[in-house]
Amino acid sequence: MKRRNQNREPMAISEAELTVLTNDLEDLHQDVGMPAMRAALDKWTDEIRTSRRGFLLGAGAVVGGVVLAACSTSSSPATTTAGSGSSGSTSAKLTGDLAVAALATSLENLAVAAYGDVLTAATAGKLGTVPPAVGNFVATVKAQHAQHAAAWNSAITAAGHPAVTGPDQALVPTVDKAFAKVTDVTGAAKLALTLEDIAAATYQSAISAVSAKSSIQVAASIQPVEMQHAAVLLFVLGEYPVPDAFSPVTGARTLADYTG
Amino acid sequence: MGDPQMPDLDRTTMGLLIEESQDVHRDAMVATRTALDELVESRAGTVVDPDEAREVARRRTANRRRITFGGGLLAAAGAAVALDAIASTPAFAASSPDVQTLQTAASIEVLAVGTYKTALTLPFIGGSSANPVVKAFAMTTMQQHQEHQDAFNAAVTRLGGTAQTAADPVLAKVVAAAVPGLTAPGPVVALALELEQGAAETYVADVASLSDSNAKKLTASVMGVEAQHASVLLAVQALLSANAPQLITLSPTNVANLPAAAGSVGFPAAFYPTDMARPATEGAL
Repeated sequence: MKRRNQNREPMAISEAELTVLTNDLEDLHQDVGMPAMRAALDKWTDEIRTSRRGFLLGAGAVVGGVVLAACSTSSSPATTTAGSGSSGSTSAKLTGDLAVAALATSLENLAVAAYGDVLTAATAGKLGTVPPAVGNFVATVKAQHAQHAAAWNSAITAAGHPAVTGPDQALVPTVDKAFAKVTDVTGAAKLALTLEDIAAATYQSAISAVSAKSSIQVAASIQPVEMQHAAVLLFVLGEYPVPDAFSPVTGARTLADYTG
Repeated sequence: MGDPQMPDLDRTTMGLLIEESQDVHRDAMVATRTALDELVESRAGTVVDPDEAREVARRRTANRRRITFGGGLLAAAGAAVALDAIASTPAFAASSPDVQTLQTAASIEVLAVGTYKTALTLPFIGGSSANPVVKAFAMTTMQQHQEHQDAFNAAVTRLGGTAQTAADPVLAKVVAAAVPGLTAPGPVVALALELEQGAAETYVADVASLSDSNAKKLTASVMGVEAQHASVLLAVQALLSANAPQLITLSPTNVANLPAAAGSVGFPAAFYPTDMARPATEGAL
């Protein structure tokens, strides 16, 4: 059975109809997208729990298992560990795939915060007239980034670490400075595009860096979505929405960059 | 001036945008070519080992399962066709799993190029009555798929395999059957969307199974692009369905005219699905 592209009769443009279409797609997301990612995540967390039990029993299993040198150009120890905790505390060091999970979560948290700031500014009238499509975009994308963060955090907490609830601290000053200059929707879209590009590049880079197949699957299920966010932002800005035949990894965050 | 139903598009601006896009693309290609070069170096002298052979057998079983419960296009073609296509492939298990996966990717790209080429012969896609943005999208996307095909085949040959220049045998039948029905933009967009979605999902599903790191990098650099194609097509499909083709235009002021739902129709899932992924060996030689 086809799950997309239901034939629809031409109709006068209708917000209600388009909303129904969007809701249909959201239902499909719940039916189709989530189970695939959830299965990968469940497998990963099972592996983590198994490894953790083995470690606690003295078997010496190491969560993640692989040093993430490929994720960074640096060979310093800092490239293989990452802090966790609500404020990016480094008291509990994460290694391997979990370190990448922490980095990804912090990026997602940053995106959630940034889109939240955009919504707040828009509500306060600080961005001028905000088109309905932009308002819907921001709210939907913010929710999806929150889902991404929750997915990564479920693996982190399964390993016995506290959830990463703070943003990528190294990027916060840059984003704050940029956001302070945003006065309209175009400026907000450009800032959002930068964040989406960074996220997509980071996930693409992470696919080659993480070791567990299930963690690759989680990263692979998110990278195309960040790319789609970027495509829509380009369209909003009046630019061609698919600029590259091959997505670049330029701007990808590395564990060496990550400070919590 | 053209059809009053068509959007007001500054063709010069569009041309510049595509040119800029191509500049960026060339930059991205540098990274991809580097990955391909590394691919050769790392796999020189590689031979298929028993573990890989067992993996092929495992994948064959998994693929049969995926075919049986496959997505929309395949359901239209019939599972038996798919099974026949795979069973009749003479050297099915002769290549490494990575080569087979890359050949399948190339076969999907071959089909995508052919489909867009066919679509561009239609007056409402590539002719005078076409929406300029849709036409530009079809042309640019066809070129991008050609580059994907070339890249996948370069990876195949550098791993010792044979370049795949034929279309995915199962999907080709589906596209051929759909062509007579391509009488308006809507069906063309729907067909293209099915192909783009299937391609993106296939690469998302395959990337974790590739053992060669550079093959993995290449696939990862393509999957998001196919997802972006799908995103654009979802938006175009929604606007066509809403009888609002004039909103399919590239302009920074256009967003003010878009309905709210258009802001999220292009990314329906927070996590990219894989249920429409093609079997990894479907296009293998």
